Amino acid sequence: MFCGMQEARTDRAARDVGLRKLVVYRETVVTEGGSTPAVPAQQASVAAVIRNPWVGTDPTTDLAAETRRIAPVLATLVTDRLLDVLGGVEAIEAFGKGAIVGTAGEIEHGGALIHTPFFGNLMREFLDGESIICFADARAEAGDPLMVPLWHKTAAATRSHYQTVSTRVSDAPRADEIVVVAAASTGPRPHPRIGDRRTDPLVTSSNVEVVLS
Amino acid sequence: MNVRKIVTIVEEIHEEGGRQVTPAARVAIVAAVIENPWAGQGFVEDLAPGIDANASDLGKLLAPAVLEALGEPAEAYGKAAIVGLDGEVEHGSALIHTLKFGDHFRSAANGTTLLPAVEKRGPAGIVFDIPLKHITDATIRSHHQTIEVRVADAPHPGEIVVALAAAAQGRPQQRLAALSTEQ
Repeated sequence: MFCGMQEARTDRAARDVGLRKLVVYRETVVTEGGSTPAVPAQQASVAAVIRNPWVGTDPTTDLAAETRRIAPVLATLVTDRLLDVLGGVEAIEAFGKGAIVGTAGEIEHGGALIHTPFFGNLMREFLDGESIICFADARAEAGDPLMVPLWHKTAAATRSHYQTVSTRVSDAPRADEIVVVAAASTGPRPHPRIGDRRTDPLVTSSNVEVVLS
Repeated sequence: MNVRKIVTIVEEIHEEGGRQVTPAARVAIVAAVIENPWAGQGFVEDLAPGIDANASDLGKLLAPAVLEALGEPAEAYGKAAIVGLDGEVEHGSALIHTLKFGDHFRSAANGTTLLPAVEKRGPAGIVFDIPLKHITDATIRSHHQTIEVRVADAPHPGEIVVALAAAAQGRPQQRLAALSTEQ
């Protein structure tokens, strides 16, 4: 989960975007419900804690310039780490992203950092995906967990890959910080068995008895 | 030993107190969520067979994993056992407070001191702090530190979370006078 070149790159990024902390979290399911998954998967999240560059500005402030400066650095930083902990781009099958804005900021500030091409397009490119990247955002106190949703990186409607990963940084975000999260999984849920669009029956209010009774 | 999941966490601090930390301060944790070996057995007087069956295997699993996650030599270390609500804290202590468990980490990290520990009981998603101290001299103040951990869905009532933590350095902006200056 570490190498020298990555360290130098991270140190530069830290200076450029006001990075305070980086938290890498990975879960490997060994058994679930008492049995080993047919397709064992790992989930990971990478959370970067940065200063909110817009604290103290009002809602008429144009966010574009700082977004262009900061979001690509963040996208590179967090996807680098995801690739590193999950074993590379081929291994990653599902992805998601998130932002937790400290209480002195606007949700819009988090959105600026994760919802524009300066983050999303780069994350999609680095993880070799095609789907829109699903997300969660919140304004919250330090230590509040955020559930980040994931779905398949090239076929978002693949139901087996609908999953979430819980992210939390113990002492962030401070009121004037933003936590930006990239998350991914190497496979489906441990025991997926709820079908898919291809196998679903046609369900409408006229043919589902429970709705009518 | 029935393992449900393995969690790996690495924290890097790049700035503390408004100043850069270069290189970043790194702490790694690896936690195994396992079935409580004594679950459903009522009060078990003799824990030794369960310890013999699990403690060494756990140490062997976690020690190399946490050092690999850290990616650097460990200078401080610590451990944790968080018991699900149906178990006794004694069950967690049994798994981590024997040489069978701890020696794997001490030997892999070239450490000599006892591993500071947290043992507690709680629900899934409980937040716990792992204390860390220097691996060869527990009086070295710069290395007294704590790392906070949470696994969202563990421990279940019949599970135990067993974790090791390793730090590559002391606190990010450590600047306390050594104990010897007061003696």
